[in-house]
Amino acid sequence: MKKIMVNVIEIQDKKYPELLKKIKDAPKKLYYKGEFKNDIFENCLAVVGSRRLTSYGRRMTELLVSEIAVKGITIVSGFMYGGDEAAHRTAVEAGGRTIAVMPCGINVIHPEYQEDLYNKILNNNGLIISEFEGDLLPALWTYPKRNRIVAGLSKAVLVVEAGLNSGTLITTGFAKSFGRKIFAVPGPLTSEVSRGTAQLIKQGAEIVMDASDILKYFNISTIDSIKANSSKKNSNLIQLSALEKEIIEHLKTESLEADILARMLSIPISKISASLSLMQIKGFIGQDGDKYYIN
Amino acid sequence: MLIKVFSAANLGLETIKVDVEVNLANRGLPGFEIVGLPDKAVDESKERVRAAIISSGVEFPMKKIIVNLAPADVPKEGSFYDLPIAIGILKSVLQFSLPEKSLFFGELSLDGSLRHTRGAFLLALFAKEAGLENLFVPKDSANEAAIIKGIRVYPVENLFELTSHFLGRKLIKPAIFKKSEIDERLPAPAEFDMKEILGQEQAKRAMEIAVAGSHNIIMIGSPGSGKTMLARALPGIMPPLSEEESLEVTKLYSATGNILPGGSLVTSRQFRAPHHTASQVGLIGGGVKPQPGEISLAHRGVLFLDEFSEFPRSVMEAMRQPLEDGYLTISRSKERVKYPADFMLVASANPCPCGYLNHPKKNCVCSSRQIKKYQKRISGPILDRIDLHIVVQPVDVEEFSENQKASEFLESSVKIKERVLAARQIQLERFKGEGIYTNAQMKNSQIKKYCRLTKEVEQILKQAGIRFQLSARSYMKMIKVARTIADLDGAEDIGISHMAEALQYRPKIYED
Repeated sequence: MKKIMVNVIEIQDKKYPELLKKIKDAPKKLYYKGEFKNDIFENCLAVVGSRRLTSYGRRMTELLVSEIAVKGITIVSGFMYGGDEAAHRTAVEAGGRTIAVMPCGINVIHPEYQEDLYNKILNNNGLIISEFEGDLLPALWTYPKRNRIVAGLSKAVLVVEAGLNSGTLITTGFAKSFGRKIFAVPGPLTSEVSRGTAQLIKQGAEIVMDASDILKYFNISTIDSIKANSSKKNSNLIQLSALEKEIIEHLKTESLEADILARMLSIPISKISASLSLMQIKGFIGQDGDKYYIN
Repeated sequence: MLIKVFSAANLGLETIKVDVEVNLANRGLPGFEIVGLPDKAVDESKERVRAAIISSGVEFPMKKIIVNLAPADVPKEGSFYDLPIAIGILKSVLQFSLPEKSLFFGELSLDGSLRHTRGAFLLALFAKEAGLENLFVPKDSANEAAIIKGIRVYPVENLFELTSHFLGRKLIKPAIFKKSEIDERLPAPAEFDMKEILGQEQAKRAMEIAVAGSHNIIMIGSPGSGKTMLARALPGIMPPLSEEESLEVTKLYSATGNILPGGSLVTSRQFRAPHHTASQVGLIGGGVKPQPGEISLAHRGVLFLDEFSEFPRSVMEAMRQPLEDGYLTISRSKERVKYPADFMLVASANPCPCGYLNHPKKNCVCSSRQIKKYQKRISGPILDRIDLHIVVQPVDVEEFSENQKASEFLESSVKIKERVLAARQIQLERFKGEGIYTNAQMKNSQIKKYCRLTKEVEQILKQAGIRFQLSARSYMKMIKVARTIADLDGAEDIGISHMAEALQYRPKIYED
């Protein structure tokens, strides 16, 4: 790996992010890698999620972040595996910008095996930030410190999945004390990592149903894209065969496995399998584990 | 007085002739020695032979007896030189003549009777090739040797009977090969009928395809989802061995002593399920005197590796070459042995350390890092050689019992087997003269020749390649699997539906 220049910016500096400067206990110095342009801090959304992100959480992250990131909103997160990683990766893949706030010294990549993502962030006009210099390794006390920067940089925080008493809730705690808006993605209460988000909603966080809920908060118009999407879908659906239409009907209520579809429709599994593959190739349905859902 | 009796030694699957020379000297102190690199079992044959001869009512000669096993530099092992040595001594005492071109082979019991001895089939094969005419073997091994036509196989029950035969008092009738029920005990019949497995439609279909084309298959699913049950039902849908295959397998089983007393041809495909604590030598083969391992015993059959990710890495890597070539060469400083190992691999694994990733009811407690690490335990090159990848999820039995229609859906193993047999027949005819039997064995050039794709099908495959990020090798796998699906359908060309179905079994998790 080629050595990337490390720069530092101090709190007195004009370029120091405005929002962050205002919080109590703002870091005196920020170390960073990447190109430091001020407009990257203009519209920041923190996206945080559980380390044990479920496939549902990953799908929701991808769905929401890809739409938000292309609108020029910077996605801020903590570079941890799971929810953070999904947010960064989706932002980069959608062509958006993202800021990773590290819990360790600026020279350290943590977790190490996400080096590919680390480089991708830098190569796509993103930033790597830390308030710690050198080779400091992450410790229990550095994570909450990091979380305060994640919340401090952002206008709003989107929580995809969170367990009760999780690090994610520490971030939202900071966000609340800084007066940031909190968005939460609802999920099934049987899932441990949806209980934290449920608690947030109970306490007044706004429920997110699609990306437009968040984009509205950032005063970005959403009408064109959504319209275009739905009309495209409708025209495509006409080409479907009778069996494919039936499958779509069943998938509308919940995502289902191939086996269950075969049982419900009383059609040999070989035929169901073939139809599912074709529909997936055409992009009508997606797959999550062994369940299929409508795109 | 020097007497020569002929026997043979098995080295791996090869057999060489061994001359058993027995010299009885009147001079010198009475004694009994065996020379010619005997191992412990051969050396101990002295005691067995002495007791057996006395038990047969013959006085053991009080002479200096030297037995030489020639060629002297080939290590001799096993207990089957008992009979030739005893015959040599008896001949000198009773003065009968031995028929020309005869081969003796068998382990003696102290009471003079002969025990079932491994390798009888190989010996018979060798005897025929070497132009020998008579083969004297233990009665329990006679049916095994009698598979080979053109030689006389004498089933010998005990030494007394054999001496009576040579003295012309009571002749032994040569054995005639007959199929025995004993063979059907090998392997154990399927533990489950496919009909007994509720749900799992896709997994069962994948099993059918795998068996039809002899494709390797991996099942990934939570504990209790039914992976093992599916595998255990496999023997019920496997086609029988063809004549040629049957001889190959019999040879291996005879050499390793796996043919039961009184048994003969191995006619059904073997199902081997070694535990993951099995040693590398036990699984792959090897040892000081190279022995075939489980992969060879699964030749032309199924090797089921449950909890695949628990197998040591070294064992998995060692399986790569035989998976590709269908045989294994074990090299030692003194010998090189080639064992066939063309098997269908059926593997099963958990999706993550706790086992409940994507489980419909239970929560997985593993971090993504743990999951990644766990999934990397299975060697990539091995996954690359597995054609069908399926996810097995537990079935909600309650829901199933309420759904009457679904129960009517269940197919029995017998019905599935019919389709498998038809598909195998198509493949046999297709590959006549190619030296292969099944679709899974096709090399790239053969795929080009036998799996021509129409433009539309190729289009689908290309689009799928982009959407599912298929590797070049996966492309070839998909074509092979589609060919088998088309064969099951009785279709000459691979259609869109065949290719689309094959894509369901593409590598999903466990591969980035």
